[in-house]
Amino acid sequence: MEIESAKFLAAGIALGLGGLGSAIGEGLVAGRAMDGMARNPKMADKLFTNMIVAMALVESSVIYTLVIALILIFS
Amino acid sequence: MSLPEIKLAPDTIFSIGNLQVTNSILATVLTSVSIIIIALLIRRNAGIRPSKGQVVFEMVRQFILDKMVISFGSMKEAKRYLPLILTIFIFLLLANQFALVPLLSNIILSNPEGTKYLFNAPAAHYSMTIGLTILVLLIAHISAILISPGKHFGSFIRLKPFFKMKSIKELPMAMINFFLGILDIIGEIAKVVSLSTRLFGNIFAGGVVVLIISSLSVVTNFLAPIPFLAISTISGLVQAFVFAMLSILYISSAVNTAKQADS
Repeated sequence: MEIESAKFLAAGIALGLGGLGSAIGEGLVAGRAMDGMARNPKMADKLFTNMIVAMALVESSVIYTLVIALILIFS
Repeated sequence: MSLPEIKLAPDTIFSIGNLQVTNSILATVLTSVSIIIIALLIRRNAGIRPSKGQVVFEMVRQFILDKMVISFGSMKEAKRYLPLILTIFIFLLLANQFALVPLLSNIILSNPEGTKYLFNAPAAHYSMTIGLTILVLLIAHISAILISPGKHFGSFIRLKPFFKMKSIKELPMAMINFFLGILDIIGEIAKVVSLSTRLFGNIFAGGVVVLIISSLSVVTNFLAPIPFLAISTISGLVQAFVFAMLSILYISSAVNTAKQADS
């Protein structure tokens, strides 16, 4: 395999695996937040902002992967 | 099918000395100017009977202030850092929607060397996001040092447990504490990377997805990018909110640790 094609393959695999983990994590966060909101609708506003921040933190792992993929493609 | 060339670095339009003025910088200046104009217009009509714009801005301010009071613990501290956070929030709120301005992001300069876009989304330039992040974290650390320098450095280089030891049995605990302090230093560096890359990655990826979808074929040129534009709009709003929230979190946690140790 040429080095160029290996780079593209690596970027694709990295982003795919990163997206998989991040999607599972975000789904768990959203699901638990929905559970909480359904149980206690008065807390919905507070839970929603906390959910958004937690989702951003979970998302950061896939953002790291995105950066690695970009470096692999463009370097 | 011809995919457009996707570049990580923004195009340089012209340079003043060593300072390269890129298309993202032009867009940043344009955003800042439009914010100033909006602010002046709203300020002119400000009064005890609020105009429509004033109501919107007061709502945004109150929204951010409420979040800050929760994390800072007091109204006085929250009001002290409000101008910084509110500026970042409003700037990112407008800057992330730059792609929605019609025609502006399609102006192309053609040179012998190739084509350049005159404007690009401000956050799609990594220097902008990392500059904002370093500013926020510098302010967090400097304000914590001003409150109590010893305690702030002491929360990273934890020598205190060694002096507090009463017997040799507590040595492993003290060493674990010291090691956790060193991990916190690495955590501070990771904050710079994660906060800046999150904003950059989301805005850059949003632009790239719209670009790829619209250039796939003639059929997908007009209607197909609309859902992706909608997603990147929502993610721009969310990222502005998240950046402001995380800045509040970082500054308030640094300030509160320094204060707590003081009393």
